[in-house]
Amino acid sequence: MFLPCYGQEKSIQLEEVKVGGRRYQRAAEGILSIDILNADSIQKYQAGSLMQTLSRLPGVNAIGIGPNLSKPQIRGLGFNRVATVENGIKHEGQQWGLDHGLEIDQFSVGSAEVLKGASSFLYGSDAIGGVIRLLPPTELREDGFKGNFNVLTKSNNATYGGSFHAQGRKGHWVFGGGFTHLDYADYKVPTDTVYVYNYAVRLKDRHVRNTAGRETHFQLRSGYISDRFSSILYLSNYHTKLGFFANAHGLEPRGVDTALYDKSSRDIGFPSQTVNHLKLINRSFIDWDKHKLWIDLGYQKNYRQEYNNYTAHGYMPPVYPQDMTVPIYLERLYDKQIYSMTLKDQFSLAKHRLTIGANGDYQDNRIDGWSFLIPSYRQKAMGLFAYDQYLLDDRTTLYGALRYDYSHIHTSSYQDWFDSQLEGNQTARIVRASELSRRFNSLVWSIGAGRQFGSVETKINLGKSFRAPIAQELAANGVNYHYFSYEKGNGSLSPEQSYQLDLSLTWSAKKASAALTPFFNYFANYIYLNPTSRYDQYYGAGNQIFEYTESRVRRYGAELKVSYQPLKQWKVELLGEYVRSEQLSGAKKGYTLPFSPAPSILMDLSWAAKNSKHFKDTYLSIDCKWTAAQYHVVPPEEFTPAYQVFNFRTGTQVNFAKSAIQLRLQIQNLFDKKYMDHTSFYRLIALPEQGRNFILSIGVPFG
Amino acid sequence: MKLFNMKVLQKYTLIAVLFVMAAACKKDKESIDTEKPTIAIDSDTAFPKQCSTIKRGTSFTFRSTLADNVALGSYSIDVHHNFDHHSHSTEIGECTVEAIKTPIKPFVLVKTVNIPGQPQQYNAELQIDVPADIDPGNYHFMIQVTDLAGWSTQKGISIRILE
Repeated sequence: MFLPCYGQEKSIQLEEVKVGGRRYQRAAEGILSIDILNADSIQKYQAGSLMQTLSRLPGVNAIGIGPNLSKPQIRGLGFNRVATVENGIKHEGQQWGLDHGLEIDQFSVGSAEVLKGASSFLYGSDAIGGVIRLLPPTELREDGFKGNFNVLTKSNNATYGGSFHAQGRKGHWVFGGGFTHLDYADYKVPTDTVYVYNYAVRLKDRHVRNTAGRETHFQLRSGYISDRFSSILYLSNYHTKLGFFANAHGLEPRGVDTALYDKSSRDIGFPSQTVNHLKLINRSFIDWDKHKLWIDLGYQKNYRQEYNNYTAHGYMPPVYPQDMTVPIYLERLYDKQIYSMTLKDQFSLAKHRLTIGANGDYQDNRIDGWSFLIPSYRQKAMGLFAYDQYLLDDRTTLYGALRYDYSHIHTSSYQDWFDSQLEGNQTARIVRASELSRRFNSLVWSIGAGRQFGSVETKINLGKSFRAPIAQELAANGVNYHYFSYEKGNGSLSPEQSYQLDLSLTWSAKKASAALTPFFNYFANYIYLNPTSRYDQYYGAGNQIFEYTESRVRRYGAELKVSYQPLKQWKVELLGEYVRSEQLSGAKKGYTLPFSPAPSILMDLSWAAKNSKHFKDTYLSIDCKWTAAQYHVVPPEEFTPAYQVFNFRTGTQVNFAKSAIQLRLQIQNLFDKKYMDHTSFYRLIALPEQGRNFILSIGVPFG
Repeated sequence: MKLFNMKVLQKYTLIAVLFVMAAACKKDKESIDTEKPTIAIDSDTAFPKQCSTIKRGTSFTFRSTLADNVALGSYSIDVHHNFDHHSHSTEIGECTVEAIKTPIKPFVLVKTVNIPGQPQQYNAELQIDVPADIDPGNYHFMIQVTDLAGWSTQKGISIRILE
């Protein structure tokens, strides 16, 4: 049970999608449904971003803008309703933002776990919809030094890149690190023309104008490991510069100088963003008498700049004033620093295995730029928790958890830098946000039971989760010109309360396995950005008012995983997901929630060759994903038609000069299908998803 | 023992299946509005149209027929310059485009109107005075309309203001 956070070193060929219940049978999360992807599978299914790779898992979707930027969505909940936890510390970026992507290098991940279900009792606010948990590569068990080089190329957006990873151990001291660099051009879609409203935007060579990007990331870790004590320091930095579709950043069609933009498919013009995420984490473990103690300390700095040409919207001055201290191309800047700490103590008391703990974080958010959406703010949060697992008998475990959270948010005031016209020909610099201070308290709980019936494992869990309102929901008061919306926060919102019932049935036999995970969820007050029927002339500069309101919401759904190995070398896999949300009160009663994923079924057929002298772990697989049409929409969304997409994968390890070179080839969107993804931002402007994409990677291990 | 397990398994499977079905098969009780409102700018009386010209120092009347399948909410007019050719109309057809220039005193108009009585159709009429001292040139005339459910439609028309 030493450091359960370490993944299994063994690489798993045909069992990528596992139910991790057993791995965590003796931990508090054992009651939840957990899907695990190891580093090998992440490479095998590699898509443009970590979340797009993970979205193959049933119940997991990516909310993306283009192929290289996306954030997690679990069972239809995303943004601040899913927590991403890396090395025990909650990852903090600008999750609320429309064009924010998760700042994590997918090549650095040792294993990824998806915890579906109400996980607030584990990680507090934001884990209301689930958790993406990322773990580093397993440390070596014996002295040595090893690593690998990996180079890759992708045809669709002419990606060239590579990563280098190394790790070593001497006695009790371990160290490791990695470096990734990716350079890609504008991506291609299977269409020559995109219709942003009625305006036809011609694409040169089917390239989505100005979506090129560059990424450079590194990680370093070092520490001490023994049976009784371990302490590891993790340092990482993620840096990306990425362009956005120049003809419509948001909903507004834009004319661009095509001669300038189409000169090269690799240059990055406006609009674009650069994001730097620095992270320093220390994880320590102490086995002290009958207690197991974990101490996680973290510091993160998320620095995000959004660049665009200055465009005078509404009452903004037609020419950018020379006396402005904000650079003319800096539309928005978000600078966030977070300090976090988690303490956990696990011990046994009779038949009970108890865990008590606390966590706290402090964050400081600063804004800049000529455009305003949310004010600067500071936030403190702390939580106290206790879990209990009671072994009723050999096959039955009962789970219980209780957690209390307190948070305090203080938002700063903000005033426009330009005059707006008010009633009666008066002008004024509008105060967009006034100082606001709010405190939130939440008490959540979870009870469950797990029981093994022969080859069937059953779990049932009922829990209450919460999420404290964020700065945007409380204090937004800005015009998002890209979306023709004037977003109005509501300072009196209370923390979201959600009740969820989860079931999990897994059956496994020698040649087959199946898992069904239905859930039912009720939100007493889901915080929702409601598009009203009104416009605001003065504060909103004539744009439609979008107000943060609360509504009651019912959600339900299920995921299904079936795998069958009729012959030793053949495997069939079926992955299905269904989720339905409905607002039960408020202005949008009867409507769904935004970005509701459509039901889908993925079928995969894999063949694994027998190992030979020269080739090892050779595989061939083809999968087809059928996604139903999505007619459950809410303004301003559109219906999204059904589609099916095929992917092909193959790979092998070639024994060459004492090392095994890993070769992989993927053809994503094999038939260059033109389709739209309902959870993509570019869906709103009817921009299809990426076309056919060949991905070739070569890995050379050493040591 | 084995038999017992099968029974329990069957029972649990049945419960799970019923649970999903009960949830999934619930009929949508009330139909919700999923249609956007419309802005008609093609009729003879509609003004301005794509490539319309207006003389500065005069007044004109914006006229358009707005419609929705259920009930209209409000509309909004926004006039801003397009001297840098950055704004695009949503309409097909290129108009006379003047050379790129720096605005000095461009015409800016923001006007929102609540449509009274939640009608399904509304003939919008709004008198707009164009001051005599504003910059002539290419402008963008934007019309937005909402319905009661919060659906919205935008239309951007390229116009020219002449001296």
